[in-house]
Amino acid sequence: MTYAVLIVPDFALHALCRSDPSLRGRAVALVAGEGRRARVTEASPEARGVGPGLAATLAMSRCPGIALKPRDPGAEVEAHRLLVAAAFTLAPRVESTGAGCCTVDLRGADRARTEALMRLRVAELAQAGLPLRIGAGATPLLASYAARCAGPVLIVDDPEGFLRPLPLAFAEPTPGQQEILRGWGIGTLGALTALPKAEVGRRMGAEGALLWERAAGQSERVLRLVEPARSFAAEWAYEPPVESIEPLFFKLRRFAERIALELRGAGFVAEKLSLTLLLEDGTDYRREFRLPEPGANVEGWLRVLNSHLAAVRTDARIAGARLVAAPARPPERQEGLFDAGLKDPAAFWENLARVAAIVGDDRVGTPAPLDTHRPDAFVMERPAEAVAPPASAPVHSACGPTLRRFRPPWPVRVACEGGLPARLEGGRLEGRVRAALGPWLAAGDWWRPEAWAVETWQVELAAGGVYQLARSGAGWCVEGMLD
Amino acid sequence: MAYVELHARSAFSFLRAGSLPEALVAEAGRLGMPALALCDRDGVYGAVRLHMSGKEAGVRALVGSELTMEDGSVVPVLVATRAGYRGLCGLLTTAHLRAEKGEGRVCWGELAGAREGLIALTGDEEGPVRRAWLERGPAAAAEAGARLAEIFGPDALYVEVQRHRIPGEERGNAFLVDWARSARLPLLATNGVLQATPESAGVVDVFTCLRHHTTLDAAGRRLAFNRERHLKGGREMEGLFGDLPEAVANAGALAERLDFTLANLGYRFPDHPVPAGESQDSFLRKMTYFGAQQRYGSVVGEVRRQLDRELALIAKLGFSGYFLIVWDLCSFARERGSLVQGRGSAANSAVCYALGITAVDPIESKLLFERFLSEGRTDWPDIDLDLPSGERREELIQEVYRRYGRRGAAMTANVITYRGRSTIREVGKVFGFPDDALDRFSTLYHGGDLPQTLELGEQLRMAGVADSHPRLRALIETCRRVRGLPRHLGQHSGGMVLSTEGLDRFVPLENARMPGRSVLQWDKSDIEDMGLLKVDLLGLGMMAALQDAVEICAQRGQPVDLARIPKDDPAVFRMMQEADTIGVFQIESRAQMSTLPRMKPQNFYDLAVEVAIIRPGPIQGDAVNPYLKRRAGEEPVTYPDERARPILERTLGVVLFQEQILRLAMELGGFTAAEADELRRAIGFTRSQERLDRMKARLEVAFRRNGVDEPAVAYLIKSLASFALYGFPESHAISFALIAYSSVWLKVHRVAAFYASLINCQPMGFYSPASLVQDGRRHGVTFLPVCVQSSDAKCRVDSDTTVRLGLKSVRGVRAAALESMLAARRERPFASLADFLRRTEFNAAERRVLAGAGALNALAGHRRSALWSVEAFHGGDDLFGQAAEAGEEALSPLERMTLLERLQADYTHLALTAGAHPMRLVRPMLHGVRTAGELGDIPAGQRVRICGSVITRQRPGTAKGFCFITLEDETGLANAIVRPRLFEEARLVINLEPALVITGRLQNEKGVIHVMAEEIAGMPDLGLPEQASHDFR
Repeated sequence: MTYAVLIVPDFALHALCRSDPSLRGRAVALVAGEGRRARVTEASPEARGVGPGLAATLAMSRCPGIALKPRDPGAEVEAHRLLVAAAFTLAPRVESTGAGCCTVDLRGADRARTEALMRLRVAELAQAGLPLRIGAGATPLLASYAARCAGPVLIVDDPEGFLRPLPLAFAEPTPGQQEILRGWGIGTLGALTALPKAEVGRRMGAEGALLWERAAGQSERVLRLVEPARSFAAEWAYEPPVESIEPLFFKLRRFAERIALELRGAGFVAEKLSLTLLLEDGTDYRREFRLPEPGANVEGWLRVLNSHLAAVRTDARIAGARLVAAPARPPERQEGLFDAGLKDPAAFWENLARVAAIVGDDRVGTPAPLDTHRPDAFVMERPAEAVAPPASAPVHSACGPTLRRFRPPWPVRVACEGGLPARLEGGRLEGRVRAALGPWLAAGDWWRPEAWAVETWQVELAAGGVYQLARSGAGWCVEGMLD
Repeated sequence: MAYVELHARSAFSFLRAGSLPEALVAEAGRLGMPALALCDRDGVYGAVRLHMSGKEAGVRALVGSELTMEDGSVVPVLVATRAGYRGLCGLLTTAHLRAEKGEGRVCWGELAGAREGLIALTGDEEGPVRRAWLERGPAAAAEAGARLAEIFGPDALYVEVQRHRIPGEERGNAFLVDWARSARLPLLATNGVLQATPESAGVVDVFTCLRHHTTLDAAGRRLAFNRERHLKGGREMEGLFGDLPEAVANAGALAERLDFTLANLGYRFPDHPVPAGESQDSFLRKMTYFGAQQRYGSVVGEVRRQLDRELALIAKLGFSGYFLIVWDLCSFARERGSLVQGRGSAANSAVCYALGITAVDPIESKLLFERFLSEGRTDWPDIDLDLPSGERREELIQEVYRRYGRRGAAMTANVITYRGRSTIREVGKVFGFPDDALDRFSTLYHGGDLPQTLELGEQLRMAGVADSHPRLRALIETCRRVRGLPRHLGQHSGGMVLSTEGLDRFVPLENARMPGRSVLQWDKSDIEDMGLLKVDLLGLGMMAALQDAVEICAQRGQPVDLARIPKDDPAVFRMMQEADTIGVFQIESRAQMSTLPRMKPQNFYDLAVEVAIIRPGPIQGDAVNPYLKRRAGEEPVTYPDERARPILERTLGVVLFQEQILRLAMELGGFTAAEADELRRAIGFTRSQERLDRMKARLEVAFRRNGVDEPAVAYLIKSLASFALYGFPESHAISFALIAYSSVWLKVHRVAAFYASLINCQPMGFYSPASLVQDGRRHGVTFLPVCVQSSDAKCRVDSDTTVRLGLKSVRGVRAAALESMLAARRERPFASLADFLRRTEFNAAERRVLAGAGALNALAGHRRSALWSVEAFHGGDDLFGQAAEAGEEALSPLERMTLLERLQADYTHLALTAGAHPMRLVRPMLHGVRTAGELGDIPAGQRVRICGSVITRQRPGTAKGFCFITLEDETGLANAIVRPRLFEEARLVINLEPALVITGRLQNEKGVIHVMAEEIAGMPDLGLPEQASHDFR
């Protein structure tokens, strides 16, 4: 037992399911490809009759109600980090071999103790939503094959007997090699190794000979070791943003489990937790929690966090969150060379948030016109870090009177004669209309429930002053005054 | 002078406007507009429709076009004279023919050369003047305007002003007015119309998105500012341009200047070159009499009378040249050994028969000549030629191009419209509906425009779009409006229009997507409306198969002359009566096979009836059951009116053919030949229900006036209406019956050649090659597997009952490599596998495919051995390596393939197997499942379970939502009927599973066996190969 391989079968599917509580216990399948070419890549046991390679449409036919999902790269990264953290608890020399797979160099490890640790990790990760399997053998390859057959832990002591019945796919032939071998009727590793290696190499080239070696479990390689985690943090996003705190609890546990395992693998405990809620409006909500007692106990952390969160109300929906655990011995930190240009960004944003609290979130920022014909349509954007250079001079310079908009516009009643506004009544502006110009018509968003149509007039009142009127479904209003 | 809109685009500007020409005319008529000019982008695609609908609505249809110039600006031109029209067509043709489809641009120099008879406008925001003003300012705009003025002069250039109630537009108009006055050019008010009414503005927005490959949400300011670019009446335009009254007045005045309409196109069909001293008429007479002598032996009596009558009418109408041209094309085809046969109403003509254009003797068959040609007819008669599909047909098409030149001949266009599923898919994408919902919709409703039993909203709900979806209503409404609008222009399956004067004088031509083909901008109906002559050169897969079969038989010393095979062969009719018609022409579909045992054809005319009866027309007209019952003596033969007896006697009192409708209109309704012809056109004219309704009303009145009683009137009118849904003319049915008969005859008497030719001519017909092979096996034909030592490229008949499969059937092998291998084999046979590998040019993948398909077995022993050996060959000049390979075939350590493995390899590489049906292998694993062959012995009403590969899924429009499924097993075919409700429940399973298990009650009515499905499930995955299915077509 020189090497161990930790593997999570259907890794992408489990990574997704552990990040989305709504998928628990449901028939779920991951699909890849566009439109009618979409194929199932992984399927949950509940998805009866559905397996890899099946067309997504057929999956819908065979398993009504199945949830077909694309892969979630964020969830996979997080799940893989949990797996790496688990690997580091077995031995310090760990390779992150691939998505959902780690190889550990066990040289020098005590077999009995390691086997016990393996079973413990399997149980812990199962709790965390990852069905871990661990195999061990004389080579990384053999350990990898063992992991794929393990239930959940398998240590290979008789390599030849173990390899013989395994499917050819274990040796990972290329599609081209698969085609050739399928034609030859070769379906197992034993069948391939029964052929003379030299003849296989002659027909399939050096790659074919390597495949033969893999089938015989003979492939040796040097592990590319990874460093254990140095920071103990997690950040995640909600798409779409969530309106309540409840979904946060689920994810918080998932990330806390990983951070705690990383801390333990590195021999640390958490001294302090820092939680940041990233809000949809671009602001955030931050809190730090000094733990009553430094530790790597997830339940303890969650008690602290949840009791606080239960009382939190945010002004905007939560678009993401960040959890950072400060280890008992914090690492050295260095200020970045390229920090933001603002002298004190935190103070800036905090001030901005204070302003927003007074005038309202939708009234703070830099107005940017929307790409629509709708008059006066704009959106408030976060202030830019830098001011863009001016565009080249327009072909036709602005001319005509300037409109000073009333915000909000003034509601008014307009009496019309002959289709033209004749008198303004019942608002902040009243009087007879001396002259009217218009209407200009604009309409849009007809495909949405919030379809709009606006009729605009410019009127000169007998009493003086030129104003812009608008008529929409909500009635007339004075939009502003023309200079 | 009333205001006339002179700058309108229709949906024939393809994604640049949202209304059909007919809708524009209707709205123009409502607004009291005396005329309307259509300026579609880079063409006159919608001009005929505008003209024809304008004629009916009393709106004069003026012709124009927007020309995309080389610099990207767009110049609208209006046609004032016929010369102008011809110049415009030439200009557009030049621009289109030198560019890829849709990329034609007009050069400024060419525009100057074609200005005669054209009036130019400065255009809208895409026009050269406003575009320059917007992008580069007044000086550039004046310069662009000056260029137009230089080309057209002050009399033929109008400065176009538009007001769409958009803020800021007056600034541009002010420039235009100032510039027009300074340049002494007249102003012209237009509305730059993009839609007939404001309600269609959304369609224009959707089209804008489709053009820019974006969504409504992302399109931003590319969408219309408002809904103002619709047709507006004179009063509204006068109100808008109160300060520029001359601009509105000029519109009316200019419209009056535009003399040209499509009413005086001036098209003349080309004459055929005739010998000196002969006229078109005399030469036609000479050739007709010569041909008649060959056909009839002597030209006397009824034959002479009929020929003289026809020739006199042909000469009087000036059609002699046309007949000679078609005769010449047929002769050209025959000289090259190609089968050719006229179809359609031409078969009603004895002249066509004498000239060898058609194969049906109309005198013997008592066919109505007036169905083909009558004095009152203003359009050209239709002659459609059936040719073997593929190379031989293309050869004839290219010969026509060669004779008439690229600008003298072109294919007829086919307007592809937004329909069913594609509409939802494209519009749904623009609306931002998620791909998965649209994919699911496409999957649920796949197979084209099959009739649905659910409303669109319900269909979308099943696809996962909630009823409460905020955009659902808008989507449904938009789809309703978009449906039927043109999407793009394709080419008609075979219609060619010819002219020796230059076809591009009458209609612009453009390149088709297919290399070597050009297409004109009008479709079949437009061409007919404009009196242009079309010759349909149609490719029929069965003609190709017949041609192939005839050649095979000739090579084997068993020549067959299909024109002379006896038409009363009892064995042929027996096969039809037993519905043993897989692979034969026309009567092989499930519906036809269900009718044959009831119909029991006994003579050739019965076959013509069989061909005609399973059509939407007779089915909708409730003609099928009465005819079959009367034929079986189960109900008496009655006639709607005693005067109808001579007309309907042959069809037992039931209206089955178009000719009968026309004759009934003449005999019982007193219609003249011209009126009957009008009726024929109304039946065939699918675009206008109104036109048909008007004819129905006229005929109804005429019947009553002539004393036809009410039940008879109702029956006859219903028959008429159903024929609008597509029914065959009798002559056409007889022409098709000839081909059908020939194919059945071959199946009976040249069975090996029959199947070999069908497989050689794939894709064609109703059944896949795999099904054809299985049917062949049931008829005693042995199919030998592909073999590089024995097979040719195509299937070859080795004995009366043996077919050697051709190497062309092997998928993934290049034709060139195959030809090279055959050439090498002709030099000397391959001595060994190593010899084969050295002397052929197959690449590694092809060698593998040949080995997997068993084609190398003769050299390698078995497939695995071949697969082992071919991998050791690496080609090139490695002589030592090759020498080492030579002796190793016997050294393969691999085991032979099992039967199932061989079967899977067959389907993978050949899509068929020469061996047993795959179902035979899994039969022992299926419990309680009946074979297709057993069903005939089971009492009706018993609950049975059948299982097999799905080879057809049909849901015809006439079936009220019922679906028909055909399963194939090792014993034959089993049919199942699925009720609409079950279909909707199991829609995905039915649509997607390659093999089904169907449980239901057995029905057996006079030998027609069905299972009325109660449960449907996919067949358990037992490793069987997937078969091709003929679905919803």
